[in-house]
Amino acid sequence: MGSEQFLKLENGLFTAVMVLYLIAMVLYFIFFAVKNVKAGRIAGWIMTAGFVLHTAAMVTRGIGAGRLPLTNQYEFATSFAWGICLCFLIFLRKYKFQALGTFVTPVIFLIIGYAAMQSREVRELMPALRSNWLGIHVSTAIISYGAFGVSFAVSLMFLLRRKMRDNAFWQEHIPEEQKLDIISYRAVSLGFLFLTFVIITGAIWAERAWGSYWSWDPKETWSLITWIIYALYLHLRLSKGWKNKSAALFAVIGFVCVIFTYIGVNTLIPGIHSYA
Amino acid sequence: MKQLKKAGKFLCSMKFAIILLVVLALACTVGSVIPQGESASWYTANYSQQMAGAVMLFGLDDIFHCWWFIVLTLFLCLNLLCCNILHFPKLIRRMKQGFTPAKSISGWDGKVAAETKRDPEKLFAKMGFRNVLSGRLAVCRIAGEDAGAEAAAGPGQNVGAGVAEVDQDAGTAVAWSSQTAGAEAAVRMEQNTGAGEAVRSGQTAGAEAAGPRQELEVRYAVKNKIGIWGAWLCHFGMLVIIAGFGLGQMLKTEYTVYGVPGQTKPIGDTGYELTIDAFEVKLREDATVDQYTSALTVTDSQTGRKESGEASVNAPLSLFGMKLYQNSTGWAASLDVYKDGEKLQEELLCAGEYAAVKDMEGLAVVLNAFYPDFYEDESGQPMTLSPYLKNPGYLYSIYYHDKIVGMNVLTGNDKITVEDYEFVFHDPQQYTLIQAKRDPFSLLAAAGGVMVLFSLILAFYVHPRELWAVRDGDGIWHIGGKSRKAGTMYLEEIKNAWAELEKEETKDGK
Repeated sequence: MGSEQFLKLENGLFTAVMVLYLIAMVLYFIFFAVKNVKAGRIAGWIMTAGFVLHTAAMVTRGIGAGRLPLTNQYEFATSFAWGICLCFLIFLRKYKFQALGTFVTPVIFLIIGYAAMQSREVRELMPALRSNWLGIHVSTAIISYGAFGVSFAVSLMFLLRRKMRDNAFWQEHIPEEQKLDIISYRAVSLGFLFLTFVIITGAIWAERAWGSYWSWDPKETWSLITWIIYALYLHLRLSKGWKNKSAALFAVIGFVCVIFTYIGVNTLIPGIHSYA
Repeated sequence: MKQLKKAGKFLCSMKFAIILLVVLALACTVGSVIPQGESASWYTANYSQQMAGAVMLFGLDDIFHCWWFIVLTLFLCLNLLCCNILHFPKLIRRMKQGFTPAKSISGWDGKVAAETKRDPEKLFAKMGFRNVLSGRLAVCRIAGEDAGAEAAAGPGQNVGAGVAEVDQDAGTAVAWSSQTAGAEAAVRMEQNTGAGEAVRSGQTAGAEAAGPRQELEVRYAVKNKIGIWGAWLCHFGMLVIIAGFGLGQMLKTEYTVYGVPGQTKPIGDTGYELTIDAFEVKLREDATVDQYTSALTVTDSQTGRKESGEASVNAPLSLFGMKLYQNSTGWAASLDVYKDGEKLQEELLCAGEYAAVKDMEGLAVVLNAFYPDFYEDESGQPMTLSPYLKNPGYLYSIYYHDKIVGMNVLTGNDKITVEDYEFVFHDPQQYTLIQAKRDPFSLLAAAGGVMVLFSLILAFYVHPRELWAVRDGDGIWHIGGKSRKAGTMYLEEIKNAWAELEKEETKDGK
């Protein structure tokens, strides 16, 4: 198979993944709206199938492009959605509540929809991007953003659960507030650890490529802002007892910053990361 | 004095740290939105008068280097330092005394994850706990709301092996003895003497226990005690990063040198010279750049010693402890100046540079841009069709006493004629721009980064966990534990682990 065929295959797989994620999202919605537990279970399987195909699509693109598929807006957006899906499946397996899917799948679908709107053209890498650090830096960013995506969804669940105290279905299928709070905290911890990794590996790479490990480029600055926001979340939580609602609101704000760092900075503020 | 103390306390507080982080995050936001490093006229042209005034007044044009941003960062460092100094002895104390059966199991009945008649020994192993302590715990309920108490291990007891604690909230006094034979641990109470103080061994004075006393068989273990250092190390690592970055900004040496192959230029005032031996721009089939590579030699001007190597993008070269980065490139061309048919001067101009005519004051030629494969589009805009040197085009301008008197593009063998002078561009070639840097503090910042990463793993994934099992009078083991970070979910983990163990044992039994 030539690279063209691999890229064609990736195109087909990507479309299939989008359809699967859409079906899963609809089923999760049915699970919640019609209170159909079976729909939720099927949605979980579809998400797993979607994730497998998504992985295959990324591998196929990597083979077709002859490099890691983590360099342009399309590739990073699809990887971002993959990262959230990975974290979602890990958290689903660990904490076993399907309702998480109802809140995570719209985020995944929006991001993969954004990816679909980007150019899928495969371009050769500019010299600055031809580094082993690219794989480490971007893959840690995917895990970090994925974990923050899950914390965002769990925090939304937390905030809505409070308003649905009298709803028996919510009480049955969504973990109690204290548990949601801890799950969100764990997702933030994972995301924060990896975000720190992203910033540090980015600095090492920048030092090799540009001769300066920190240049206050908008992308670097916004990564730092996001890091500070989550650092505040962790400090306020541990020392001032900011748990539950305040923590959930903070996690939501943090994810808005993540999205701005990823999409907003690239599109609104020019800088040396403008290719990303 | 009192006010000074108050101010000092505030400077070291978490509240101050949070305020600083919020302000720094806001400053970073402003710095990312307002273009940095532009001239005052740029802000006046692009913003309203008031806004441009505010930008210049508060240093928002260079926010990350302005005095108040640096002061805020220094305050953050001070706060981190104070936090670390204040917490160090506390953490040492906690490592030594913070994890004891008496402390953990006090008020145990509210933290039970499972109850069983089977020996829970295997659970400790399953959950990764080693060094399980076995012993007896004497628990005494304290009567009365304000019952302050001081618990003491029994007379003649080895207090190293026996630890006593008072939990005023739970209303209990407990004494722990690692001696399994006989209930030697005794609890003595003395009301209203201040709860939670250290045990005073040999104290005999004091009232007998005010409430009913229980003696329980206990198993106890703790793991990941090292995790309590996570936050401390993270703060320390942040301090190291900021110190490394700050010192680097102040003391690093950084110069840029550019030229074409064959040229030798001094590297600032370092006493070294840089010779560009060769420069190659490797192009792919689709004419995009694959790599820029410069072959370089650095010579120590004093000793004459030389070191050579190649620098390319993402692969800097280290010579004489200096890092040389392949930073940029561009086009250069030779300019010959003739007067009445005789060559007056010859200069090499990089795009953007000018040459002043030697015997005509005020006359200068600027090479504005170079197009290797020159083409003029429909609107008359000069551009290049490819990066290959096929049809050179030189965009130039002529200045006379700082006023432009001519501007055009030269192609082929065209010449520029100004009165008696003729100007000819020829031999275009690509120049390389090398950044030479020496920053010994970047290693310090890197060490700080490693510390922060390691500390976060400690803080999030190696946090302390205690596991215990208490056997009551009816022979039932009550299994529970404590984890500050995992909270109630830790009890669930214990419950799941125990259920799994029971399942495995039932399976093996079959």
